[in-house]
Amino acid sequence: MQKTVLSVNAISKGFQHLKAVNNISFTVGQGDIYAFLGPNGAGKTTTLRMLLDIIKPDSGHIAWSLNGKQNQLPAAGQIGYLPEERGLYLDIPILKSLVYLASIRGMEKAAAKKTALEWLERLGLADRAKEKLQVLSKGNQQKIQFVASILHKPTFAILDEPFAGLDPINQEIFIDYIKEINKQGTTILLSAHQMPLVEKIANKIFLINKGHELYNGDLTGIYQTFGDKTIIELQLESPFNETTFLNLNGVENIEIVDDIHAKITFGQKTRLKDVLHDLTKIEGICDVTSHKPDLHEIFLQLVKKQ
Amino acid sequence: MNYLKQVITVTRWEFSRFFKPKNEALGIIIMVLTSLVFYFGGKYAFSDTDKKAVIHIGAEMDASLGEFLGSHYVVKEIPKAEMDSFIEQISHEKEGILLETEAENFVVYAYKNTRAIKKLKARLTEYHQQREMQKIGLSHDELAALLSPATVVESFVYADNSGKRVVLSYFFAGLMIMALFLSFAYQFTAITGEKQLKITEQIVSAISPQVWMDGKIFGISFTGISSMLTYAILSIVGGMLFFQFTGMPASGILDYLYLPSIAVYLPFALVGIFIWNAILAAIASIITDPNNSGKSSLMMLPMVFVIASFLVIRDPDNGFSVFLSWFPLTSATSMPMRWAITEVSYLQLAGSFITLLLTFYFLRKLAAKIFRVSILITGKEPSFREVYKLSKLK
Repeated sequence: MQKTVLSVNAISKGFQHLKAVNNISFTVGQGDIYAFLGPNGAGKTTTLRMLLDIIKPDSGHIAWSLNGKQNQLPAAGQIGYLPEERGLYLDIPILKSLVYLASIRGMEKAAAKKTALEWLERLGLADRAKEKLQVLSKGNQQKIQFVASILHKPTFAILDEPFAGLDPINQEIFIDYIKEINKQGTTILLSAHQMPLVEKIANKIFLINKGHELYNGDLTGIYQTFGDKTIIELQLESPFNETTFLNLNGVENIEIVDDIHAKITFGQKTRLKDVLHDLTKIEGICDVTSHKPDLHEIFLQLVKKQ
Repeated sequence: MNYLKQVITVTRWEFSRFFKPKNEALGIIIMVLTSLVFYFGGKYAFSDTDKKAVIHIGAEMDASLGEFLGSHYVVKEIPKAEMDSFIEQISHEKEGILLETEAENFVVYAYKNTRAIKKLKARLTEYHQQREMQKIGLSHDELAALLSPATVVESFVYADNSGKRVVLSYFFAGLMIMALFLSFAYQFTAITGEKQLKITEQIVSAISPQVWMDGKIFGISFTGISSMLTYAILSIVGGMLFFQFTGMPASGILDYLYLPSIAVYLPFALVGIFIWNAILAAIASIITDPNNSGKSSLMMLPMVFVIASFLVIRDPDNGFSVFLSWFPLTSATSMPMRWAITEVSYLQLAGSFITLLLTFYFLRKLAAKIFRVSILITGKEPSFREVYKLSKLK
């Protein structure tokens, strides 16, 4: 049975007139890659900051259980943190900064230096170890920032928007890094709003919007619960008329993309064969494609229901 | 990782960030060069003043005046007929002094009023006094007795308040001002810089605000103290060289270095610098944009208190001086200054030091709390009221 390493129970946090996080609960098991998903301002970063005791919840309870020790907050060495607000010492040599950040988390200097050099080697930056961070490109600075958060080999890593500001190639590289450190035994809790990327690595997700929970559980579970629907994407010859399609059997939602493109969601019991049959009766359709809803579409559905 | 180990790690980091031996050495070289330029430049510029100055007097002037002036000046006589042309020559050549008498008065012609004229006036006053005394018939011995100072047999309870001790206490205050200037600059750069570079969140996820604040206070204090000690040693060496050059034994510097006073100064200065670094760190924590913040000027606050300590020198035993030597924001400088120039009981010394230590203990806690609160406020810079309100929350 999977061991629970983090248990969050009914936490809430408000700032002046804004309720940033509203009564949310979840648990993270050992070895999970747990993704917090939601748009900007959903309450993801506030939640992560509460887990690290940077800010205190107004109500609720957070319990950690890392390496068999029950703590309100684990030791610094057990936690890795990549903050949403990125920043490192720009005027200090890269290696020196990395060793310092690992050493304040309890890693011995010699070990930190050795591991930092190994990471820099992998990133192709070993020959620039003694250069100041400010001379690196933004992408490389992001990589150094990531390394700084996991260099000390934490038991649990919290990565706030790890893909933000990365190009598609580097996003894929980061996915590989995250999978790798997870394989080596680090439990991951990450926040993101790029759902296709999260689908590639997370095994559990928490969908959050305006501080409220939309879904909490296995990634596979969300498809079973909300994904057994059919989405038909249409291209028309003339401007889309919604009323023409509203009367079709099983229509749950119509999303007009532009004048001649639309997405129609059909309910779970609707068969694709019947839908296509009905569509043949409508004139002016140039193109039809169908697919099961992805995470992004499920999220939008849940937000609409909220 | 325990508190102490974390504080040591942060302290070493902050110290190494700002203490640059290369820059320190460069500063020392510049200071030595400047001193040498001043010393030898001054010597060269005033080399003429060591020689006897030349003074021109009218040929028909009283011989006794010429004789009197002859012991201080090279006296040259000018015939009356040449006087006007000599005065004209002074205005062209911008040098030369001509002295003549009109009845009982002295008349001096020179290009402008200089130190040499002031000296000449003093000599003429001396000559005038001697002449007047001779007129009333005083003998040379009577004149000497009249001019000699009163004999006072001195008996003081505290006899160590020599000018040398005052010099030492000024030296203490000067070193403190230097350490505070450095602390101000580094603390401001360190904290506002980290806030602007957005490093703070990463750091406080690993260590508590208290560890972070303590490390900053100690690390930057030690940077200031290192510079302070470097320049103190340099000043002592400079003093020894000065003594050597001016014909006094180099060991004369030891008369100024009263060890018991130094022994008192060091711990007081150390804790005092810690206190001011805690206050500076707290102020820097609530500054979001150092270029536009109205709170930046508050960083100069410590100077007011250190400068107030100078009042102790005027009368170290009056009530206000005693207050300054107990009040924690001034005692770090005032108490060692008082200790150097007057008698202070060990009980007062211990009481003042304990008060200083307790103040530091609570101020560092307050500084960490202010820092913790200020990182929660994003966007606009928090007001003191907002910081106070938030600090009351858990």
